[in-house]
Amino acid sequence: MAFLPEEARALPPPPLVNKVSAWLGAAGWAAALLGNGFSQRPVLTAGVHRQVLFATVGWVVGYFLAKRTEYIHAKQDREMFEYIRHHPEDFKTAGKKRIGELLEDFIPNR
Amino acid sequence: MSAATARPPDKMAAALRAVVRLRLAGPGPGLVFTRSAFVARKHNYDQPNWFGVGLAFSTSAALWALLFKQHNEDVMEYERRKEERKHKCTGCS
Repeated sequence: MAFLPEEARALPPPPLVNKVSAWLGAAGWAAALLGNGFSQRPVLTAGVHRQVLFATVGWVVGYFLAKRTEYIHAKQDREMFEYIRHHPEDFKTAGKKRIGELLEDFIPNR
Repeated sequence: MSAATARPPDKMAAALRAVVRLRLAGPGPGLVFTRSAFVARKHNYDQPNWFGVGLAFSTSAALWALLFKQHNEDVMEYERRKEERKHKCTGCS
């Protein structure tokens, strides 16, 4: 399957600030900081251009991954509801019981 | 230990030592000093690599611009398809 089929465009797109993007952006930033650490440079203040680039790449990849995740979940939901619609006998809700039938009979103990 | 009585590992060790000494002697005249996995040099951070810095920042800016553009296009497409679906089901009001 393609990364994002055509029908995925009918779904509402994830917001620009979303969990996947934030996480992968932070992971990219952490990778840049780790590289600074390994290269014996000041961890936070060195290579800001590198930190910005890695965080950006993570954020962009996160956006597209979030879109694909939404699409996969929507597809599964559609298939599941279609199945439920086609097999109503398997999904009958049990008849509602009245509270009087549920409780035990009251036998006064005097 | 004479070469006649040297064991094969000793001979190999001696050959490696000779190779290392030749390498560390530096490039001879007419030789190009190529990068090698066996020679380590420290980076010189006195002068910033302005080309690399500019490339990284411009790439980041381009990526953000592309991301904003893509998101706006996605929102427009979603709204367009929503309107289309409404007209199909309920008919034009």
